[in-house]
Amino acid sequence: MKPLAKNPIILRILAFVVLLAVVAAIFQSLTPAYLSGNNIHALLRHMAVQGLAALGLTFVIVVRQFDLSFPGVASLGAMTLGWLIASKFGVGVGIGGAVAVGLACGLVNGIAVAYLRLPDIVATIATGGVAVGLSYFYSNGASISKNFFMSGILDLNDAKYFGLDAPVAILALTAAIAALVLHGSRFGRAFYATGENRVSAVYSGIRVKAYVLAAFAICGALSCLAITLLVASSGAANVTAGSQLLMPAYAAVYLGAALFGAASVPATIAGTLLMSAMLNGFTLMAVPYFYSDAIVSTVLIVAIAAFDPKVSAALKRLRPARPAKPLRSPSLREVRS
Amino acid sequence: MARVLRMLGIHKRFGPVKALGGVDFELEAGEIHALLGVNGAGKSTLIKILSGVYTHDEGTIEIDGQPVELGSPRAAIEAGVATVQQHPELVPDCTGIENIFLGHEGRKPGLFARIDRTAMRAAAQKLLQRFPIEIDLGARIGDMPAVDREIVAILHALRNENTRILILDEPTSTLTEREKASLFQLMRSLRAAGIAIIYITHRLEEVFEIADRFTVFRGGRNVATFTSQEATERGVSIPELLLDEKAGDLFPERDGKAVGDVLLAARGLGRSGLFSGVDFELRRGEILGIFGLVGSGVDELSKTLFGAIRPDEGTMQVKGKEVRFRGPHDALKAGIFLVPGDRRTEGLAMTQDVVFNTTVAHLGRASRLGGLLKFGRNRLDTEALARDVGLQPFELDRPVSAFSGGNQQKIVIAKGLFRASDIYIFVEPTVGVDIGARAKLYTLIRELSRRAGVIVMSSDCDEVHGLADRVMALYKGRPVETGGWNASRDQLLSAGIMGARAA
Repeated sequence: MKPLAKNPIILRILAFVVLLAVVAAIFQSLTPAYLSGNNIHALLRHMAVQGLAALGLTFVIVVRQFDLSFPGVASLGAMTLGWLIASKFGVGVGIGGAVAVGLACGLVNGIAVAYLRLPDIVATIATGGVAVGLSYFYSNGASISKNFFMSGILDLNDAKYFGLDAPVAILALTAAIAALVLHGSRFGRAFYATGENRVSAVYSGIRVKAYVLAAFAICGALSCLAITLLVASSGAANVTAGSQLLMPAYAAVYLGAALFGAASVPATIAGTLLMSAMLNGFTLMAVPYFYSDAIVSTVLIVAIAAFDPKVSAALKRLRPARPAKPLRSPSLREVRS
Repeated sequence: MARVLRMLGIHKRFGPVKALGGVDFELEAGEIHALLGVNGAGKSTLIKILSGVYTHDEGTIEIDGQPVELGSPRAAIEAGVATVQQHPELVPDCTGIENIFLGHEGRKPGLFARIDRTAMRAAAQKLLQRFPIEIDLGARIGDMPAVDREIVAILHALRNENTRILILDEPTSTLTEREKASLFQLMRSLRAAGIAIIYITHRLEEVFEIADRFTVFRGGRNVATFTSQEATERGVSIPELLLDEKAGDLFPERDGKAVGDVLLAARGLGRSGLFSGVDFELRRGEILGIFGLVGSGVDELSKTLFGAIRPDEGTMQVKGKEVRFRGPHDALKAGIFLVPGDRRTEGLAMTQDVVFNTTVAHLGRASRLGGLLKFGRNRLDTEALARDVGLQPFELDRPVSAFSGGNQQKIVIAKGLFRASDIYIFVEPTVGVDIGARAKLYTLIRELSRRAGVIVMSSDCDEVHGLADRVMALYKGRPVETGGWNASRDQLLSAGIMGARAA
């Protein structure tokens, strides 16, 4: 990690732009429609859903925990939203209800991990499983689209705020708030201190349990906000809605962290943009989802390897003679290859 | 008796620091030879050279009269030197036998190379016949008492038949008196089998109980070797031998006694199994020194005062009010700041920069009402504090892992200054800090004591005595009479390492 840390931020941004340009150039040469205006809008809408989920996950990763429940929680959120709309409660209540469900599930995760000290991976898989089960409760698993057309939920996909597509505007606003919390406030410092070294954080007077709890709660709530956008774009609530969130969200957070040296809001947004650029390209080329998922998973593994200081240290030991080139940090070399 | 080991003119430097300056050391077959010395005297460097962890710069090592090169731990083991670390690494879920032969299990022939338990049991029996000791090697390590684990670690070291020299690094620090007796029994049977034992300890009473000879180290040299009998007959004072006469130079002058109000008081404070019956008062304007070895309870006492461990007897008062901390955040609010003994794991966020680390101690001060950080203000504050503590290099954007040990400690102190507390507790403030930076840290601690109350807890007797206005000692979790608050160095050292008043 040391050579990474020495790299000025400009070089990292440059590396990201180059990487994005390479991805774009490859897909553009394969499918000419890739860089068309319509497709870029589609890409960014897709990114909004993945980005919101990845932003929530960023908090959990910053405190060095794992959340594997949010796809299940998001499904429950989607079905809650669908049921509320179908029961004519209106869009506002629907979205509020979905996010509240996500928040509640996140709190359960947080209490289990922070206060009961259960292992995070097992505990969150379990809550995720419970959430999926509960999501069948509303309609026995049938997808819900009653009332959707009348209720105005579809506007969430089609409207424009501040000249941006609504989902993109929502992502931008959420990212700005998340960045302010995580990078501009005392709470962000506490999140990072908790993740970096829990003992020293406790000794600095930080209530680490509360921050771990908060991270899980934020993750749950944002995954349900993300699924709201997905429901709005597809026009129906599905019990499997959340299943496509897990891998891209982790890949985005870790890819971003590999590029920028640590998990952060800009890093996650950059990672999501890269992931969406790839996923969208595969969709456009009509690559079946199971192959594109496999490719995304490969990217995830490479990103984790690049993020891990042990791996970059091992790579450095492999070539001790050559001085590190300033532009190519070990992690980038990994990501490209 | 036959001489088994001879080390001549051993020199070792670490960068600018001289660790060993010409050590001569001899060991005879079938003797138990104790190494004594305060922290940094050079005894651990010497055994690390002997066990192949470090290589020496100058000098020769002969085993059985043959010059040897001990370039690696493996070479040392092959030359017949076995080492038992202070906290031996054993697999808690395996039995004693399995741990002894870890990595060298007997194998049955065949595709699966199944472990040959019968052969292992027989080999273990043979070891026990050579070195008679009562122990159930079939039990899980995790279920064994501390002494049995120690014995397993020793048998593990002795499984090589050619082992001639056994190094034991403070094996008794976690043992009770009874357990110690059974360890000593094993050591005696090893001695009878002709194995030479190098025995490192901080507890002087053990030397006369078990060792045939002892060598005292001071300032990277061996200064004296006596047989235990000689030492008793001639009335040799070991504390006198241990102490370096010039240690006083490092420490700042004590001020005139402008001692203020009582800030922190402990009455019969204790936590079962860790320490008990601790009484003291800390006043503004003074440094209270508490001397205690590893395992004496000083570390636990510091964490109790800081709210990280809850006491189960006695009371604590801060500025006259009785307090019960639910956690360190309560202690910080009450105005107590701990500079912990292990700054890497307890004091700092190592990959974050200096500003992050100082401001994290008081996020309320570092932010506005809504919680937004005052970036410019924090940087200026940190700059001022870093200048006060003399941070080198003066780069606030560096991750703290890139600073030297002494400068990391300065960052923890800057963190404490940012918190602006009334009571500062330092634990082992200069471990891993080179001698040049030490004097600066001592001056900082002294300056801090002008406006606050400071407690310094350390296993370095000179440090406690040289720095503090008043001293006490902890021995095995209990405060020891030190001949009054203004004990001499000898009295303090004796109290901390023998649990008794010096004669």
